[in-house]
Formats: sequence, structure tokens, C-alpha cells
Amino acid sequence: MLVAVIAALITIIVLVGIISVVISVRSHRASQDQSATNDIAELENIGVSKDASIANDAQGDVRVRSGERPSSKPSDSLSRRFAALGVLAGGIFALLGAKAWTMQVMSSDEYSDKALDNLMTSVSTPAPRGCIYDRNGIALVNNRTSQTVLADPDVISDPDVMRRLSAVLGIPLGVVRQRISDSSAGAQSKRVVASDVRLRDVAFISEHADSFEGVSVESRTVRDYPYGALASHLIGYTGSPSQQELDSTSSGRVIESTDVVGKSGVELQYDNILSGDQGQRQLVVDAQGNTVDVISETSPVKGFDLHLTIDAHAQYVADMTLAQLIAPSGDIGTGKGVAGAVVAMDMKDGGVLAMASYPTFDPTYFTNGIPQEIWDLYNTDESNAPMINRVVNGQYAAASTFKAFTSMAGLQYGFANYDTTWNCTGSWDGFGSGDIQKCWNTKGHGTLDLHGGIVNSCDVVFYEIAKAFFDHGPEGTGELSDTALQDYIKQYRFGSTTGIDLADESIGRIPTPEWKAEHWKNVPSEAIWVGGDYSNMIIGQGDVLITPLQLAVAYGGIATGKIVKPHLMKEVKNNTGDSVVESDVEVVSEPDVNQEHLKYVCDSLHDMVSQSKAASEAFYEAGIDPALVSGKSGTAEHADRIPDAWFVTFGPYEDPRYVVVCVIEQGDGGADNAAPVAAKVMSALLGTDGKDDEVGHISGSSGRSVELQYSSSGGRQD
Amino acid sequence: MPPIQQIDNIKKTYVKKSSAHAKRSRDISSIVCTPLILAASLLLAFGLLICWSAVQGDADYSFTRQLTGVAGGLVLMAIFWAIDYRKLGGASYILLAISVALILSPHLPVIGVTTMGATSWINIGMQVQPGEFAKVTVVLFAASLVARYGGKLDQPLEYCKVVLLLLIPFICIMSQPDLGTGLVYLFISAVTLVMGGARFKYLMITLALGILAIIGVFIIDEFLKYETESGEVEYKLLKQYQRSRLFVFMNQDSLSQTDDGYNLQQAMIAIGSGGLFGKGLGSSTQSSLGFLPEAPTDFIFCVLAEEFGFVGVLALLVMYGFLIYTSVRIARNCGNLFGMLIVCAIIGMWLFQILENIGMCCGLMPITGIPLPFVSYGSSFMIVNFAMLGLIASVYSHEADIGKGV
Repeated sequence: MLVAVIAALITIIVLVGIISVVISVRSHRASQDQSATNDIAELENIGVSKDASIANDAQGDVRVRSGERPSSKPSDSLSRRFAALGVLAGGIFALLGAKAWTMQVMSSDEYSDKALDNLMTSVSTPAPRGCIYDRNGIALVNNRTSQTVLADPDVISDPDVMRRLSAVLGIPLGVVRQRISDSSAGAQSKRVVASDVRLRDVAFISEHADSFEGVSVESRTVRDYPYGALASHLIGYTGSPSQQELDSTSSGRVIESTDVVGKSGVELQYDNILSGDQGQRQLVVDAQGNTVDVISETSPVKGFDLHLTIDAHAQYVADMTLAQLIAPSGDIGTGKGVAGAVVAMDMKDGGVLAMASYPTFDPTYFTNGIPQEIWDLYNTDESNAPMINRVVNGQYAAASTFKAFTSMAGLQYGFANYDTTWNCTGSWDGFGSGDIQKCWNTKGHGTLDLHGGIVNSCDVVFYEIAKAFFDHGPEGTGELSDTALQDYIKQYRFGSTTGIDLADESIGRIPTPEWKAEHWKNVPSEAIWVGGDYSNMIIGQGDVLITPLQLAVAYGGIATGKIVKPHLMKEVKNNTGDSVVESDVEVVSEPDVNQEHLKYVCDSLHDMVSQSKAASEAFYEAGIDPALVSGKSGTAEHADRIPDAWFVTFGPYEDPRYVVVCVIEQGDGGADNAAPVAAKVMSALLGTDGKDDEVGHISGSSGRSVELQYSSSGGRQD
Repeated sequence: MPPIQQIDNIKKTYVKKSSAHAKRSRDISSIVCTPLILAASLLLAFGLLICWSAVQGDADYSFTRQLTGVAGGLVLMAIFWAIDYRKLGGASYILLAISVALILSPHLPVIGVTTMGATSWINIGMQVQPGEFAKVTVVLFAASLVARYGGKLDQPLEYCKVVLLLLIPFICIMSQPDLGTGLVYLFISAVTLVMGGARFKYLMITLALGILAIIGVFIIDEFLKYETESGEVEYKLLKQYQRSRLFVFMNQDSLSQTDDGYNLQQAMIAIGSGGLFGKGLGSSTQSSLGFLPEAPTDFIFCVLAEEFGFVGVLALLVMYGFLIYTSVRIARNCGNLFGMLIVCAIIGMWLFQILENIGMCCGLMPITGIPLPFVSYGSSFMIVNFAMLGLIASVYSHEADIGKGV
């Protein structure tokens, strides 16, 4: 500000200086040229004369000498001032002309570009997203049109219009006001007052447009979920793009604030395929934003359809069974466990057939932006995190399901043979530390071999194998490294991602001395790797963490000898129905294991199902002969709460194809509570459940829960 | 003898004389200054064309009203032309009184109109801006006041008295407030003083005092500034919005941050995008699509620049130059100091309005609502310009009665 004032003053002073110089130069010349008097008073000019007494006569005294022609004019004596006037006028015209020259000739292009920027606007028409189908072509996600009533932001200052909207749409006035004042979709954008408005009401608003100034009705394409919350975690939901998504250009497409983008699940993973191409309209607009002319227009192209490997029927059974087990009345805590996950996979090609996680959410709620009340509800502790996909992001202690892998490690290093036997007394203190470790069966299993150890899930057998690893490790004879067991287990891809086509997969954890030292670096007494770490890890307890999907992939490795990459996308079809992308079987690795050992463990897992009373009952109930499948239960113990229940099963026995993993948080006994869920899903896959291909509606979870009673029946029933 | 009677006598003498030499003195060229008429006609035609183009599609403006202004102006011009301006020479204080009455009339209770913070209009069936009409009386007042000194204003006290009297219209208009028109009055007064032969030394002192007064306003404002409830700094004498208008042209990096900045930016885009030959009559985008605010009034130069390009701008400047040149010729050839000063004051007014209006559009000058002579929409100023033309014509043609001495 001050600088501006000073600059202006300097300009004035410089200008005056220039003019004065000009005047003085001219007057100097004039005084040389002209000897005539400059005294105007002596001129006999006609007009108002100087000697009129101003003080006396306010009217002025005009005295005119008549009849004489003036010998000179008043301007003669002022010629230098006339010259200055001429210089001033010339300067002004020169200045303005020069400025116009620089603007209109020198930098005209720059201004023309700006003028075009004012005029030209490109408006994009959102493209309908591609639909999502299961492996058999059943639509899991469709599009439908929704009549949406929108209001300009300034309608907030028009109480009459808001009152009419409230009356016509049947929405309380306060809600109307709140929705119009919600600027979350951008300050300039229109506000959604109501979606899925009845055609009657739309017609009324359109006919009385004068009474609804600033209100418009749009036919919008929104996501439709025919089965509600079915497969909601793997499908994901959509929403308006975040600022971060708007800024990112890495995906190779321009996202606009009016677009709908995938936020989770395959909607996010395959967003570029599903989103389609926006239509573009090049418009000439006036200052008010009204369209004056349309220069070009391209129609939007619907996104490609995504066909998943999911079997809708198996998915329905998984979702349904989980919900019925955990929350039979709708609220968590009225059944068994507080949360759960089921994943079923085709072990031969890695296609995921079912992926269920409970509690769940209904993506229908999210089609017009997540309502605050739903968001709040799903963020309460009571709701138990419905947005988490526990199949890929739930990390649990593996418990006895781990024994299939650790027993093979024992066989590999010769710490167990086909004829080795151990005696289980129900408790064990092999390290002599005084810290007694118990078998789940505290009465003891008596004498058993490795087969019996797997079938009965005897912990003592595995403690002995763990001790052998410890004794041969750096602390003992030093034949093995301190990660020999872990390295063997990691062949089955524990501790790393499976590579499924979903974002942010959890990797779990296989503890090593290095990890432990780092983890406990602030508590040095806890950071030491001890024998107990082996004996805990070998039964899948302690610091071991895995995801249900990792377990399914690993059991696939046992059943088929190959680790495949799980995937959800079966193929992508373009708008003419041609397949443009098809997924291939991707074998990640073949664990380097003795095939005889593998067969031995597989046989043990096969016998486990038949010989477990609870498990075999579960399979019979599901319509499957237990002899047809193999499996393993697991019960992950916690110090302060009910154990997590695991059951993994694969089959058919002769030619293993399907693997099903089920985990129930705080579900107690694995064979008792997780096996029935796994069995039903397996039955659905094998087509033995007698329900054909039934698919039905799944409700989002209520978000409520009641306290689950801790009713431990005195130890695990592995 | 009362002055009016004196003048009547002189007139009678002249009439007798002129009838004696009927053929020579009725020579049409002695009454009608052809170059002046030509310059004014060209400007008017060009201005009306631009104005017509600028008001297209805008219901707030009516080209018919502009034409009404032209018609009214022609009538007024004829009246002024016919009147012997010399009769007004002695009426300095009456002219001052009329000026003050006109300028203060918007403060009257019933007819006064206040819009956009300025009490500048009166409503007498139609809305007019008396401050514009007062330009005519201010020109006459200033010329008659200074003419009394016969081209030699060298008494310090008399000089001070004249300067103070000349400041009265400015002070009155600042009560509206209307700084733009006030500056026009000041410029008229300054040109009259300079051309009226005031001593160079006095003029320099006045200029220095003027600059000191401006600095003084800013310094005093720094002491008077206070914080508003919203936590912003506000000044007492020169409010923030006025400062923003005055200085926006100096701070063009932050143009779009204020309304005035946006207006200036759009104005400059309109001018620049016109290019060498313009977009053609009626083909402007900046003005016809509403990006350019106030297109027919304050920013009409931008419409011209956009539609006719640099060539059109040059044509306008040449026409103005021709008008000014013709007027200067008339002033120089005028045998009467009062007449000469009238013409000079009018030249000063036109020069200032041209500089300020075009300069404002180009970002050279602060933004003030000063219209462009013969072009801007607005009947008040159109009438005033014709009255000015009438005065110049009067000076020219009444010279004929006593011989031009060219």
C-alpha cells in the first residue's frame, strides 16, 4: 500500500519535472525571440479586464473597449503554457497508444488465451460403472437409475423453497436444511436433498419449477446391490473421490469431483476397469455459467464388467452361516463368538470362491455418501469393526492348524519319524525351566506317534519336536540355524502377502530371534530367544500371526503340492460381451518338501476329520461323508478371553480341489464351532447341501452387541 | 452602469456593424467551426456504434435512452451556442452557487438517491447525476474567476483566494462522496489556473501542498485506523474498499483477489484479446457474455478495444486528438481571456477523463467511475459533453462578431 502511494507520488513528481523543463526551455527561447512585452495587463484585449475590483463587485466588472480590433490575443503571452498543454495532451495520447500497443499487439496471444479460458468449459458426463458378476454370471452389483433432487447451495437462504421441499419429499425441514448446508461434496456443487425420489414427486417439482428456484432433479446412475451385504467386503463400496484421489494422476485417468470411485474391495482394485470413459462436452459459457454453445460432445462409455471367481451360492452360505452363528438374533454376542471370517478357494487355480467376514456392512447405505449415523455406528466398539475384511486383514494366532506345517518340518529334519513315539501325560516341561506347558488334553494322550499327534492334535508331541529344534540350534549343538523351523514354515508363504487382488493385505508374523530382539528392544529381559518360543511357535501360538487367506493358500500347498496366487478376478468383459482379460493360474512356488512326508501328513489330516467326533458330526450334518474331506481344527488361546476357533478343510480326498478356512473370534472350540461353518461351505461347493444354487439377501450387521459370556469348559477341545 | 446593460449595448453595436457587412460576417464558417463539428460528429458516430454494441442483450441498458441523451444534448448545445458566453463572465459567484446547489442536491430528502454508498443521484422522473451537470458550471465558474485577473495572477493573497474558491466544488462533491468527479473538478481548476497565467512558483507550491495533503491523509489515517469486529484493519478517511480500488492497478499479481481486481483483470483480457484488428462488431466475448462488468459505462473502452482491436483504439485516439487539437486552436485564436479559459478548462476535462477512463481499463490508473466522453453509456454525461461543445462553439462563433484575427 505504502509502496503504491510512494510510486504514484514519484510518478507525479517526475511528470511535473519533465513538463517544467520543457516550459523553461521554451520560455528561454521565447525571451530571446520575442522582445514584445509579456505584460498582459497592458494588452488591449477584449474581455474581463484585470483592473476590475473583485473585492467590491461580486458580479465582476466587465469593461469592453468597443470598435477596436485586438492587436494581440491573451494566448500570446501564454504560448509556453499552451505548449505545455500540447505536451500534456500528446503525452496522454502517446501513453495510452503505447499501452494499447503492448497489450493488443505485443502480448495479445496471452490475453486471448485468458479470454478463451473464460469461455471454454469442458463438462464431463459420468460413465456408468461396469457391473460385477459371480463366476456363473449372477449379478452381485448392478446399476440402477435414481431420481435425485438437488439444490443449489444458496437455497439455504430461501426458507420458502426449503419448506416446500420438506413438504413434497416428506423430509423434516431440519434435515433438508442440514443436507443443503453440507458442503462435503465441494462448496460450488449442488447438494443432494433426496435420492430415490418417487416419480410423482419429481413430476410435481418439475411442474412447479417457479416455486422451487435453485432446485433441480437429476437421473443418476447408482450402484445397486441385489443381495444387500452379500460379499460386501470383497466387492467393497463406492463414493465420491477424496482430495487425494482427485490430485493423483497415477492411475492414468482424470478423476473429477462428481465422479464415483471405488473405495474398497474389487471396486477399488479394478476401479480403472469398472469406471469407464466419461463423456466430454466442450461448452462455451457466459459469465453466469450458462451454456451458450456446445462445441463438441462425446458420449460416456460404460465401464467393463467384472466377472469374479466367487461362487454366489457358496458366498451366500458363508455369509449366512457366519451371521447365524455369531448373531442369530441380529446382535453380536447372542450366538458363538464375536466376529468371524470364511474363505473358500479353488486350490488348483487360486480362484477365491467365497470370502465372508462378519460383522458386515451393506454397501447400499453408501451409494449416496455414507450417512453420518451409519459411519458413527460402525465406528463404535460395539459394532466390532464391520468395515474390516477379516479374511485378508484379520490376523490371528494359527493355533493347531499350524501343526500340519510344523510336523513336516519335524519330519524333514528327522526330529520325528513315521515310527517315533512320544508319551503325553498332559503336561510337559522339557526345557526344565519349571514353567510347565500343558497339552490341551490335560489328562494326557498316552503313547502316540506323529500321526496320532496330528489327529489328536497332541501338543506334547510337538513340544518334543520343538525341543529338538532348540537342542540342535545355536543354543545347543549348533547344527541348525535359529530360523530353520521358520524358514521351513515360510515355504508356505506365511509372513508374506498371498498376492490376492485386494489392497492392503496383512502379512501376519512368523517370529524369529531377530524379530524378537527388535520387538522387545526396550525390555531386554524379554528380548532373549528361548526354547519356549519354539514350543509356542510349533503349535501356532505365541507370537505367530496369520490371516485366514494365508492359511487357505498354505493348505492348498499341502493338498496339491503347489502354492498358487489367490485371485478374485475371473475375467473382464467389454461392452460387447467379449472377454478382454482373463486370469491365469499363477503358481507362486512349489515348496521343496519330501513327497512321502507330504502324503503322510495329508493322510493324518484326512483321518483327523473322521476321528474327531465334533468335526465328523459337522460334516455329516452338512451332507458330506467326513471321509471325503481332510481337515484340521485349531483353538487359539488367549490369556484373558475366550479362544479363537479355527477349522480348515480341503477335499475331495481323491482329487483335492477346494479348501475352506473358517475362523471365529472368541468362538471357543475349533471343531465344535468353526467346523460346522467350514463344512457347510464345503458342502455348498461340492453341491451336496441339496439347496441347488440358492442365493439370497444378506443384511448388514446391526452394529450392536451384547457381552459374550466367558464359559470356558475347562480347557481347549482341539 | 450595470454590466448586463453594458453588454447589451455592445451587442447592439455589433449587430449594427455586422448588418453593415452582412455578407462577410454571415459567412457560415465564422459561426460554424467545421473541424470541431467534424471531430465531434465522428466521435459521436463511433461512440454510438460502440455503445449500441455494448448494450446488446442487456436489459438494464437502453440504447434509446442514450439517443435521448444525444437529442437533449443537441438542444442544450444549440442553446449554449446561441448564448454569448461573455454574458456569463461576470457571474462567477452565481455560477459557484449553482454548482454547489447541483452538487449538494442529492442530499435533498425526497429526490436524493443513494446507491453503492454514494449519494450522487437525484430522481426527477428519471435518475440523473447533478454532479455531471455541475461540470459545466464548474468550467464556467473557474474560467470566469481566473479571467478576472487578466492572465496575471501574481498577488499571493489573491492567488490563495482563487485556489480556495476553486476547491469549493471539490469539497462539496466529496460529501457524496464521489472522488472520480471530484478529481475532474480539480483538474478543470488546475488547467484554468495554469492557463490563466498564475505564477509558476505559486503553482509549484500548490502542487507540493497537494502532495503533502495526500501524504497527510495517509499518515492521519494510520493513526485513526482501528480494528473492526471481524478483526480487520479499517481506516477512517480512506476506507479499505476505496484503497483497494485506487491501488489495485499497482498490484496486478493479486488481481483476482478482490472484485475490483477481477474487474480490472477482465477489462485487460478484453483489451488484449482484441488484438490488432479486433473480433468484429458484436463478436466480443468478454463483454457480450458478461465477463466484463459495467461494459457499457465505465469499461466501454474495453468493448471498443475488443471488437475493433488496436486499429479501433488508434482511430478513437486520433479522433480525440483531432477534437483536442481543434479546441486548442480555438482557444489560441480566442481574443477573449474568459473564452480562452473556458475552452482550456473543457480541454482539461476531456483530457483527464480520457486518460483516467482508458488508463483505468488498461491498468495504468486507479479504478474510478469516470465515463469516456461521447462513448460511455449515460445520458447525463452525454448532455454535458454537448453543452461543452456548445460552449466551445459559442466561443468560436462570438469571436466572429469582433473578428477572429486569425
